[in-house]
Amino acid sequence: MHSDIFTYIDPSQPSTVAAGPLAAKSLAIQPNMSVRGWPTEAGSIALDRFVAVEDATVVKRLRTAGAKTMVSTRMSELGFGLAGDTAAQALAEGHADIALITDTMGEVRVAASTTGVFGFKPSYGTVSRFGLIGLVPSMECFGILAGKLEDIATVMVAISGSDDRDPSMPGFGPECELPDFSQVCEAKESIAVAGLVKEAVDGLGPSESEAFSAALSRLEKAGVKIQELSLPDFDLFRSVHNVIGSVEASSAGGKYDGVRYGHRSASAKNWNEMYLRSRGESFGLLVKTYMLQGAYFQFENYSAFEDACRIRARLVRKTEELFDKADLLVFPTRRPGFDAAAAGTINEVYDAFSLTLLANVTGMPALALPGLVFDGDVDPGLQLVGPRLSDARLLSVALCLAG
Amino acid sequence: MDYEAVIGLEIHVQLKCATKMFCDCHNRPGDEPNQNICPICLWLPGAIPKFGREALEKATLTCLALNCDIQHQSAFDQKVYYYPDLPKGFQLSQFHRPLAKTGWLDIIGKDGAQERLRIHKIHMEEDVAKLVHETEGRTPISLVDFNRAGTPLVEIVTEPDIRSPHDAMEFIRALRTQIQYAGGSECSMEQGTLRVDANVSLRPCGTDQLNTKVEIKNMNSIRNIGDAIAYEIDRQARCLKAGEEIVLHTRLWDPEKGVTAPMRAKFEGPCVPDPSVPQIVISDEWLNEMRSRLPEMPGRKVERFVDQYGLTREQAVLMSSERELSEYFEAVVNQEIPACTVAHWIATQLLPALKERSQTFIDTPISAERFAGLLAMLERDEVNANSAKEVLARLFETDQTPRAIVEESGFRQVSDTAELEVLVDQVLAANPSAAEGFRNGRKKVLGFLIGQAMSVSQGKANPKLIREILIGRLS
Repeated sequence: MHSDIFTYIDPSQPSTVAAGPLAAKSLAIQPNMSVRGWPTEAGSIALDRFVAVEDATVVKRLRTAGAKTMVSTRMSELGFGLAGDTAAQALAEGHADIALITDTMGEVRVAASTTGVFGFKPSYGTVSRFGLIGLVPSMECFGILAGKLEDIATVMVAISGSDDRDPSMPGFGPECELPDFSQVCEAKESIAVAGLVKEAVDGLGPSESEAFSAALSRLEKAGVKIQELSLPDFDLFRSVHNVIGSVEASSAGGKYDGVRYGHRSASAKNWNEMYLRSRGESFGLLVKTYMLQGAYFQFENYSAFEDACRIRARLVRKTEELFDKADLLVFPTRRPGFDAAAAGTINEVYDAFSLTLLANVTGMPALALPGLVFDGDVDPGLQLVGPRLSDARLLSVALCLAG
Repeated sequence: MDYEAVIGLEIHVQLKCATKMFCDCHNRPGDEPNQNICPICLWLPGAIPKFGREALEKATLTCLALNCDIQHQSAFDQKVYYYPDLPKGFQLSQFHRPLAKTGWLDIIGKDGAQERLRIHKIHMEEDVAKLVHETEGRTPISLVDFNRAGTPLVEIVTEPDIRSPHDAMEFIRALRTQIQYAGGSECSMEQGTLRVDANVSLRPCGTDQLNTKVEIKNMNSIRNIGDAIAYEIDRQARCLKAGEEIVLHTRLWDPEKGVTAPMRAKFEGPCVPDPSVPQIVISDEWLNEMRSRLPEMPGRKVERFVDQYGLTREQAVLMSSERELSEYFEAVVNQEIPACTVAHWIATQLLPALKERSQTFIDTPISAERFAGLLAMLERDEVNANSAKEVLARLFETDQTPRAIVEESGFRQVSDTAELEVLVDQVLAANPSAAEGFRNGRKKVLGFLIGQAMSVSQGKANPKLIREILIGRLS
């Protein structure tokens, strides 16, 4: 197969006929999802020649569900953005039926919307992050790209559920129960009202606006009432994600020091120099800038970070309140004028993901739906966002709408 | 101008846990290097910390033993700095929301009066790895042993209430006793499970300002703590008298030279809430369960030992100084031995014997039953005190009962009056001048004559009876 799409192709041939719900599906993952014995470099020189020592919980569960032959697609450095990401291409070219990629700021939904497939980001905490090599622990999760919604449901049945190796999952706390995906395809859920956040569509250009309106009218034809709602602080999702995300990235990247694994600079004279050079040589410009920005908030402007945490809590509350007036929220997925794959600066990355950040900041489930308009140049796509942990219902509703 | 010292302590205590704080690795830092490690404590990519229940229990017991208010909600932060002994670029520590606040301990000051010293806060944190510096050929290399990485600690921060080296040492002694009683930690400075740093500043007597402090580290014993603080007070007083300004810095105590010397300024990184370790929420029910696990603490035990057993306060304090000792003491007393005899024999005989053999009340072959057996024979005059000391020494070497040792080795005390009268007559015949001296009023000679009789009997004679017979013969 194509090495410009894949970083690794499992050479082992299954010795028995696979059984289980995923047995017939070909699956692609990314090299930031740990598979024992596989090169797991997460798109970064920082993890040069790193080989995972055990399977991520998700990988273990995929195998239990019959997924045997897996390949690893190329990815952006540490899953930040979509530059160099080939998961959608692998699907489009028929190399895989399903691809798992990390959704840190909307990657799975923007990639889906660009390619014309479904892209699902589950609620934070429904899928174990154990073995996921990420950058922003409180925002990122495994996401699923697939041409068929049923496949997304099947994968969620397989991989969701509490894991004692990821204590940050809500199954470990008293507050709530994790969603049950087993009846997604049978449930035939429908919704009456979809909320449209005015501030999210205000920035669309005329042709994008027109395309999005066309998508909304198809929803209306399917019997969904579109209710205009307001979230005056919508722009703050971007600032909050940027500040908190960069602070977490700076900390999460702290372990890449060349002491135990990964790239170590050859020319250092002492450990301090080893740190500086190894880390200097390890990260690409985008991730390096992002970490440096995070370090700035940690060391020089901690109160701005505290403000961002407070605003995040308020944004979560305000978004939750919208579900008093609507069953689900509907958003465009991307701004076609901002190419996520070409974004090279922090600003450009946030421009490309400005419409998807809400789900990462709030931990809510979101699904990008293809095929409602699909006109490559102007299609801003459409995503549905549900309350946290309403994932199963969200998928059921989408199945009815898409069917 | 006269100055007074303002001293605060920062105390790290390694909790007595079977596993590390955020993974299931053995909590045995002293094992062969890098034996007790896993993807979590090595912080391999993809690992997620999992906070252990045992660490929370032991930390809570420790806080309760130090009279602290346990916080119903606490959380871990990332203390960010880069060093090869820190495998992830930050240390997990409770900076913003500690487990416990506002505690206290009572100590006896140098003037004999009780003083209450306050504790500011106690927080949990993980220990870092250990660096070993070696050379490979002529190239210096640093090796990292991750056995200690992730070991559960609490840090206890006092208020600046301490005014003298004596009080600082007493505080540490009291703290050690309390935590050992609660089962929170071994608290051994020797083995590094108790580490103390001191912040010292001076101010003119009678004022209440807090001046620039100097931190001192590297004290490896309680005596070191007293010496280092005393040295530092003296050093700062000399600086102030010479008109020098005290600057904030850290100094290392050199126990060989008996001085503190400045060390490289340490880097204070920021503390950011950790997004992966869930917030710790403590219910009243759970806290009550922890309280019920606390044993009778030494303060109350001293009172009870005085009331119930009629010990002197000094004896009661000694018998309560360690939990194992106090339990041993009571186990022996429960074998119907008078408490004062037990306390006296533990203090003067058993404790020195254990110390000499580096044994503890847990691992010594002198069980409470065997020790009680020996004291019972002493009480019944079946063996005299001198012989009992010999029997005690034998008890360490054999697993025989005290009675068997006495019978076999002929330690049984001779209390047969006829036999003793013959003995006394022999002694008087052999020492006519001493006998004469006693009759002439030199009463001190009696001791000499008793000693002679004991010696002739090879220590087996009942000294009380010898004394009676001697006085009878000489008067």
